[in-house]
Amino acid sequence: MVEEDSTKLRKRDLLFTGALWLLSLILPDPHLPYRRELIKKRDLFYLGGVLLLPIVWPSSHVHHLMVLAGIYAILALGLSLFLGYAGQISLGHAAFFGIGAYTTAILTTRYGIPPLAAFWASAGVAAIFAYLIGRPILKLKGYFLALATLGFVEIFLVIVRETPDLTGGVIGIFGVPWFSLGGFQFDTYFKQYYLVWGILIGLILFSKNLVRSKMGRALLALATSEDAASSVGINVVQMKVGIFVVGAAFAGFAGSLFACVMSTANPEAFSLGFSVLIVMMVILGGMGNLYGPIAGAIFLTWLIDILGRFQEYSLSIYGLILVLLLIFFPDGIGTRLNIRLIYLISYWGRKKRRETKEI
Amino acid sequence: MPLLSVEKLIKNYDGVCALNRVSLRVDGGTIKGLIGPNGAGKSTLFHVITGMERPNSGKIYFKGKDITLLEPYEISRLGVGRTFQTLQVWGNMTVVENILTGMHKRLKGGFFSSGFWLPWIKRNEEEALKEAKETLEFLGLLGRWSWPAFQLSFGEQKMLEMGRALAMKPELLLLDEPAAGLTPAEVKKLAEKICKIKQFGTTVFIVEHHSSMVMEIADEVAVLHNGKLIAEGPPDVVSKNSQVIEAYLRGKESDA
Repeated sequence: MVEEDSTKLRKRDLLFTGALWLLSLILPDPHLPYRRELIKKRDLFYLGGVLLLPIVWPSSHVHHLMVLAGIYAILALGLSLFLGYAGQISLGHAAFFGIGAYTTAILTTRYGIPPLAAFWASAGVAAIFAYLIGRPILKLKGYFLALATLGFVEIFLVIVRETPDLTGGVIGIFGVPWFSLGGFQFDTYFKQYYLVWGILIGLILFSKNLVRSKMGRALLALATSEDAASSVGINVVQMKVGIFVVGAAFAGFAGSLFACVMSTANPEAFSLGFSVLIVMMVILGGMGNLYGPIAGAIFLTWLIDILGRFQEYSLSIYGLILVLLLIFFPDGIGTRLNIRLIYLISYWGRKKRRETKEI
Repeated sequence: MPLLSVEKLIKNYDGVCALNRVSLRVDGGTIKGLIGPNGAGKSTLFHVITGMERPNSGKIYFKGKDITLLEPYEISRLGVGRTFQTLQVWGNMTVVENILTGMHKRLKGGFFSSGFWLPWIKRNEEEALKEAKETLEFLGLLGRWSWPAFQLSFGEQKMLEMGRALAMKPELLLLDEPAAGLTPAEVKKLAEKICKIKQFGTTVFIVEHHSSMVMEIADEVAVLHNGKLIAEGPPDVVSKNSQVIEAYLRGKESDA
């Protein structure tokens, strides 16, 4: 009798262990590993998913949503380096997104520069602005930094509205050409999906390298203790400005893609509300994790789209969902989901074991 | 020429005089101890030396160079490593990453070369990892290298903090109360490590509230009381100094 019991237990344990192993393959790692490898097994799962999605689900609405999600993910990825790794808050990221979009729109429509060149120029211009803004304000900390960055979204919008000769004012610029690469035009959502997600994957690899290098360690260090960071010779202000500029360059890329996909740049898209949305993507997705902001971007893009059906109730449902998520997943969907699931599974395992023992 | 010399340092906090014309020198290749009762201004002196606080007047020279008004990171790049009285280990990183971050300035690479993971970054990183593990072995933490730093015990975290400062290969190591909160066995181990660090050629400057460990290992001891330097010299001489005995006795009375 006793022997039978123990074999049963072993089977069950095997089942649970197997389930845990499967989960650990798919979900991001909740532990704190020494950041060494660029690509792990589970990255290939994600890659496969990303590549197959538009083929498996051939709906142009889905493709469009995923294009937007990809653009927002680039934006959130850049911000997560600044917010999640360096621990600094910026509510002004929409401004760099806007600068990127307007740079591309102006260069392609006014000067006939090809989108690929405008794409790089957008990141450059956004980075230069970030450097000029970051140099003075990144000496501020915490709430003061948040307020200062909040200011420059408004300044950006005012400048855009008041210079109609350059930016088209309130109406914006129309007729931005499709993104093209050597004569190949990205003119359907299906093609744009692969363009945006390809760029996103490149930027993820860049960020992953950054995070596992001495720069990433310095960022994590200054997020925890600036005194300790400067005690080992890290120039804290320079480091913050550097990562702010990198984040802004990402936003410039995203803005450029946005202008090409939407074929327009207008001030509506770069409001303060949008800045807050990007911060929400990073926080909801999970901060100390590069996949978190991407999960957050996809989730929020879909959520807003689905809630659009509920018309006047959409905002209150949206608020409720955000509050619930922040209560139950305080450190992000990506980070917490697997901890919750693993906890649940091991809890079931323990409960079953206890029950069989009592019998 | 002394490695570090502090001249007539004055530091006031809203009328409270934390340092009152303190002058002292640390010679290269020695262990210097700084003791004194609570609130004597020992930690303030460390903060001023490492640039975290600005003195009201006075000068600090390191290797003959005036470092009084430099930023903290500039001072540490010159070769001054330090630990903190309140533990400042980076709990969001693993143990080995803490040590690697200590090597920050000795590794090459900026945002771009790191982001593209250029060949020399990879080589650098491998060498750094090897060296970090050697440092951990010296500290007796090698078995924990991949642990998150916040999971270490208090004593191990203190050791890790010292290791982080050592990873900079500093010429002068400032230890702010390294033995505080450690068990007697851990204090003994710590004393051995500090003596070994001295043998490697690093000068050590220790601030300590409990004077017994410092008296054992230091070559020279200075005593600070109410912001004033009241005695300086070899440990056996200082411990017989009547002013020092009085200061400590008074400190003990007020504690009770």
